[in-house]
Amino acid sequence: MSARLEQAVHALKEQIDAPVASFLSSCVHCGMCADACLFYTETGDPKYTPIVKVEPLRRVWEQEFTFMGQLKKKLGLAKPITDEFLAEWESKVYDSCTMCGRCSMVCPVGNDITYMIRKTREGMAVSGHVPEGLVGATTRAVTIGSPMGVKFPALQAQIKHVEKDYGFKVPVDVEGAEYLCMLSSMEIMNFPEYIGAIAKIFDHAGVSWTLSSKAFEATNSGIQIGVSDIASELVQRIVSEAERLKVKAVISPECGHAYTAIRWEGPNLVGKKFGFKVRHILEVLDELRKEGRLVTEGMEEGRLTYHDPCQIGRRGGVLEQPRNLINMLVSDYVEMPDGGKMNWCCGAGGGVSTIESADEVRLKVFQRKKDQMEAVDAEGLISACSNCRIHIEDGLEEYHMDIPVLSLTETLAEHLVDKE
Amino acid sequence: MKKHITEAEPIGDDDTLGAALRRQGVSRRSFLKFCAATASMMALPPSMVPAIAKALERAKRPSVIWLSFQECTGCTESLTRAHTATVESLIFDSISLDYHHTLQAAAGHAAEEAREAAMRENFGKYLLVIDGSIPVGNPGYSTIAGISNLDMLLETAKGAAAIIPVGTCAAYGGIPQADPNPTGAASVADLITDKPIINVPGCPPIPVVITGVLTHFLTFGTLPELDQLGRPKAFYGQSIHDRCYRRPFYDKGQFAETFDDEGARKGWCLYKLGCKGPTSYNACATTKWNGGTSFPIESGHPCLGCSEPKFWDGGSFYKALSIPTTEVARDALYAGAAAIAVGSALGMKNRASSKQAKAEHQKVSVDDLNKED
Repeated sequence: MSARLEQAVHALKEQIDAPVASFLSSCVHCGMCADACLFYTETGDPKYTPIVKVEPLRRVWEQEFTFMGQLKKKLGLAKPITDEFLAEWESKVYDSCTMCGRCSMVCPVGNDITYMIRKTREGMAVSGHVPEGLVGATTRAVTIGSPMGVKFPALQAQIKHVEKDYGFKVPVDVEGAEYLCMLSSMEIMNFPEYIGAIAKIFDHAGVSWTLSSKAFEATNSGIQIGVSDIASELVQRIVSEAERLKVKAVISPECGHAYTAIRWEGPNLVGKKFGFKVRHILEVLDELRKEGRLVTEGMEEGRLTYHDPCQIGRRGGVLEQPRNLINMLVSDYVEMPDGGKMNWCCGAGGGVSTIESADEVRLKVFQRKKDQMEAVDAEGLISACSNCRIHIEDGLEEYHMDIPVLSLTETLAEHLVDKE
Repeated sequence: MKKHITEAEPIGDDDTLGAALRRQGVSRRSFLKFCAATASMMALPPSMVPAIAKALERAKRPSVIWLSFQECTGCTESLTRAHTATVESLIFDSISLDYHHTLQAAAGHAAEEAREAAMRENFGKYLLVIDGSIPVGNPGYSTIAGISNLDMLLETAKGAAAIIPVGTCAAYGGIPQADPNPTGAASVADLITDKPIINVPGCPPIPVVITGVLTHFLTFGTLPELDQLGRPKAFYGQSIHDRCYRRPFYDKGQFAETFDDEGARKGWCLYKLGCKGPTSYNACATTKWNGGTSFPIESGHPCLGCSEPKFWDGGSFYKALSIPTTEVARDALYAGAAAIAVGSALGMKNRASSKQAKAEHQKVSVDDLNKED
């Protein structure tokens, strides 16, 4: 066994905790998770069955923590963990899993399969059987500060545009502000309108907020690749900055996994309770709506639907807020079949969008999203995750569909009544 | 499991069953009533009643040889001793019972000659009824006219169209086979494997069951459908428990604890008094005994399970089914304590192993990810 493989097995062993042991002991092999996964439903290939993806973790558990497994290992009957085996599993663990959490919802014995896939990635990352694109993104996140290689000057340039367009100053590094607003580099590079939108909304509602020049990146490649040490380092940057600026809350942007990283995994990763709150931008906006601080005019035209980003809706519980906001902005709103808690993933989350070898399968499984939109005859789609938006636009192009994809925050900003 | 066997043909004289019954004063009406009752008992559709009547009416009296081995004659008593003449017993009377050493008038050599003559004249066509088990360990325990039971069985079985072991002794070994089985008693099915066998167990069996089987054979020329213990499903398809009129008390958890407590007086379930109804398959609860008067549970006694193999060796008749033979509470305590000890030892080992793995954690950096092998 090579040193790297040994390290990988050790990393998997470290990941085994009481929940994992009980999940693996209680799997009844019913296969219901297969039908919950769009990689299976759209390809019909049983290798995409979610529980199959955790096989590396399962083997380590069996051979290190069960009596029969240890006996089998001693007698040479156990299935070995080899480089070839892990190489075969790489595409199952990374290319064809977006960690959307749908399989965990349907498991009849309550196994959190997504939790185990996340843990399996810890071992895979160490073993070296990990997609190049994801390694690149992680490396850039750690060394440059953003998975897309965006540095503060690039953000500064976008801020200047916003200030020019709206005629007010965008707060940066303001100590004592109520909110520290995080961004994803996709927003900086692909959807800079988002920055303008939050600036406009917060100005409209009179919210005290700030950006940070030291920590503006909300995304966390460490979560996606499955290296907690790196994920922890990335979260720590945000925590330090929030503490330095003494903000009351940190706002996670229109990005799925960033919310999971900061809000749910964050305190566990850095090993302490945060001294500030973490909110998703939609939570903040809905609260402003409730307080009557958002005054809008006009409605969007056409039949629109909403795509729940998995990490925000199913995994994050932000389900009502977007619908409350949409009510304010859209007259002809339709809910897609399975919309809400059980919405289907766009197919590119969990790092899949950075993996080149996954391009084919991610576009193939987009069929599910296409079917959902066609079922309600949607003329436009609203979402709240830049990654979902980019992939859905990509998918619509692939399937020759001419449907606009909108950001909820940006749409809200467009309908705000101008201040007198 | 339906085996087609040769249809019964005229035997000895040309008398039909119908003629014999009429001669004995059975009206057409009560004959048809018997046919309808038989059809319903055997779960046949009502449309079969005329067919049964027609077949029985015309059936030539089949030759029946009845051999009694290690038995108590209870089975014969059950079948012949009715308070009033029933159609069942008349049908039974109407068969050509060519050999039955309890009932026949002939004795000694004449009796054996009657058996040999019946075998010769109806070879391949007669029905062979057996009651009693066969001593195989020491044949000397039971002989008839100097012939061992085993030899007589093997010889007589050769020309039989079908064999009907009547009573639990013939069907499964019964009481003679009970531990320690001093005679080495065996059942018919233990010894004969090349003939159709219809077991009619019970200690004794219900009379109507044997006439039902005979009727089936005379009507269709086939054997009725049998269960895995070779019993006709029509009569042995359901457990006593499932058809017991005291079943609602069982479902409500109302049990008689002793034979003279309030529960016993109120007619509650006898399960705790050792009733074997749940594991016994027979028609007692529906057909009942003594001309449909009652059955054991109805007279306040638990079922003994007499139609089941080894019913005599199942512990006391008064020990409830689910009460185990050893002291469970003590054994469970020991087993539980051992399981907890082993479980916590394994758990501690796993916990230590997991803790060690975490302690040995090596920090993963970007350099590790970009390492070339």
